[in-house]
Amino acid sequence: MVEQMWRVVAVFRVVTLAYAAFLIIRDHGRYVHPAAGFAALAVMFAWTVVTVIAYARPGGRRNWLIAADVAVAAGLVLSTRLITSASQISAGAPTIPASWAAAAVLACAVAGGPGAGLAGAVVIVAADLAERQAVPQSTFSNCVLVLIAGGVGGYVVQLGLRAEAATDRAARSEASAAERERIARDIHDSVLQVLALVSSRGRELGGEAAELARLAGEQESTLRTLVSGASAPPPGDGLLDLASLLEPLGGDARVTVSAPAGAVLLADAPARALAAAAGEALDNVRRHAGPDARAWLLVEDEGAHVIVSVRDNGRGFSDGRLAQAEAAGRLGVAQSIRGRLRDAGGHARLTSSPGQGTEVELRVPRT
Amino acid sequence: MCPEPDAPLRVLVVDDHPIWRHGVAAGLEEAGSAVAGTAGDGAAALRVAAATRPGVVLLDLNLPDMSGAEVTRRLLAADPAVRVLILSASGERQDVLDAMTAGATGYLVKSAHFSELLAAVRSTAAGEAVFTPGLAGLVLGEYRRLASGSTRHRGGPGTPGRDASGRELPAASPPEKGRPAGEGPVTPRLTERETEVLRLVAKGMTYPEIAALLVLSPRTVQNHVQNTLIKLQLHNKAQLVRYAMEQGIA
Repeated sequence: MVEQMWRVVAVFRVVTLAYAAFLIIRDHGRYVHPAAGFAALAVMFAWTVVTVIAYARPGGRRNWLIAADVAVAAGLVLSTRLITSASQISAGAPTIPASWAAAAVLACAVAGGPGAGLAGAVVIVAADLAERQAVPQSTFSNCVLVLIAGGVGGYVVQLGLRAEAATDRAARSEASAAERERIARDIHDSVLQVLALVSSRGRELGGEAAELARLAGEQESTLRTLVSGASAPPPGDGLLDLASLLEPLGGDARVTVSAPAGAVLLADAPARALAAAAGEALDNVRRHAGPDARAWLLVEDEGAHVIVSVRDNGRGFSDGRLAQAEAAGRLGVAQSIRGRLRDAGGHARLTSSPGQGTEVELRVPRT
Repeated sequence: MCPEPDAPLRVLVVDDHPIWRHGVAAGLEEAGSAVAGTAGDGAAALRVAAATRPGVVLLDLNLPDMSGAEVTRRLLAADPAVRVLILSASGERQDVLDAMTAGATGYLVKSAHFSELLAAVRSTAAGEAVFTPGLAGLVLGEYRRLASGSTRHRGGPGTPGRDASGRELPAASPPEKGRPAGEGPVTPRLTERETEVLRLVAKGMTYPEIAALLVLSPRTVQNHVQNTLIKLQLHNKAQLVRYAMEQGIA
């Protein structure tokens, strides 16, 4: 994109040089100093060669060269004063470089965006106005055109650059997703299979093998989460799939996550609030429900509401012992969960009875 | 429930990972089941099943050549008596649901205990649905999706209601009165009791626990649960037939 723009600048410069040459050859008879007119043409020709060659490579697009470009163009505009008569200038005759001067403005715009383009244009327009005593309509229009070219040209280049960067990012993320998928497949084909088998069979053997099985099982689920997680692309529109957000919580062998087959889409904030609250509820299970407690997490999409239930089969507690639960730090967590849900416009409900485990129901409305 | 407890189960193990396949086959044989064979892809599974007539097919969903739903459908078409038990890694919810509605009787995650796997194979052989909490969550979600009338993100069955000549079906023809247009002739619904039971299964409660809570017999709980799956499978089959007719296949 940028390379194309630089080529456009080069083509513009050559074409406008031809136009300027045509004007000088046609009008030199009326010049006060015809020789100076041809000298100016020679300078323009030399400068065109220098810039076309220099700008062709990214390394040649130095700021000082672009500044010099504007200076040369402005100088040539001012030289009109020395070459032609004041009356001709005031009558609206073109300057010596004519539209060739705009090539420097375009170079500024391509190199530095709308700001630089405008700055270059202001310099050229100032030089043009400085050498005239009166400003006829045609000159005024030309000045406005140069300013617009500087600003708009720079803006277009900036847009192009952004689009290019976005395409580039997308291509890179696609490549990394593909690579991740390939690695996930490899790991799935080898390591995970072995770990799953060790964990599954080891438990049958008991004793030390059971301990090894437990370790293998933990590693398996960690690795599985690692290779499967974050591989799904976000659905866009600022929505998150709550089910894939919660799935990693099932990495712990004592936790089962159940959800509908399709995505459960929620806005970013409530989805994250639900996931964080569910995570806290599970932490709570690990801390208080006893070492053998298992937990089940259910995601339900009721259209108007999304519900996440976290149930455990641990010790549980009676309503009358809420004070005791508070002392045990349990209510603090419950309150933190409630706070998260309130912020998301929903609410949390906690039910428990001794020996029956505890259930936390987290409910968030879809807005 | 098992009709002949002493008759060895004949199990076909289908998985594209040789390590897993052989490990599971060895484990099953140790536990007293006869391994009818093993297969590494869907086509081989269909061939081996036709030759050995296994009672249960232990089917991994990640096969290189065809989807788990496709294998399940073809296995059942060749032998309606065969029982299919789906094994899958986590994160394949849609594939699991597709295979279950295609006629599989059970679903287990690969990280389950081997003892759970054995128990699941046995109850599958006995014709009982292996209803893990994960499956209950999927089935609940599917009924809600059907009730909301949203279309599937996959093609095929589930295309809106038009008859063979392409005319829009009347929205209120007698058998589908009150049903949302766009679904099959009869969109299956859950009864309140079924919803209640499924939610409890999805939250990890066992049949006896649910029976005690709702004051039902465990048998009734199991019937409720199995009904929910059978209704989905019938619906799926009806839609397939309908789809085939629309396409002029049948």
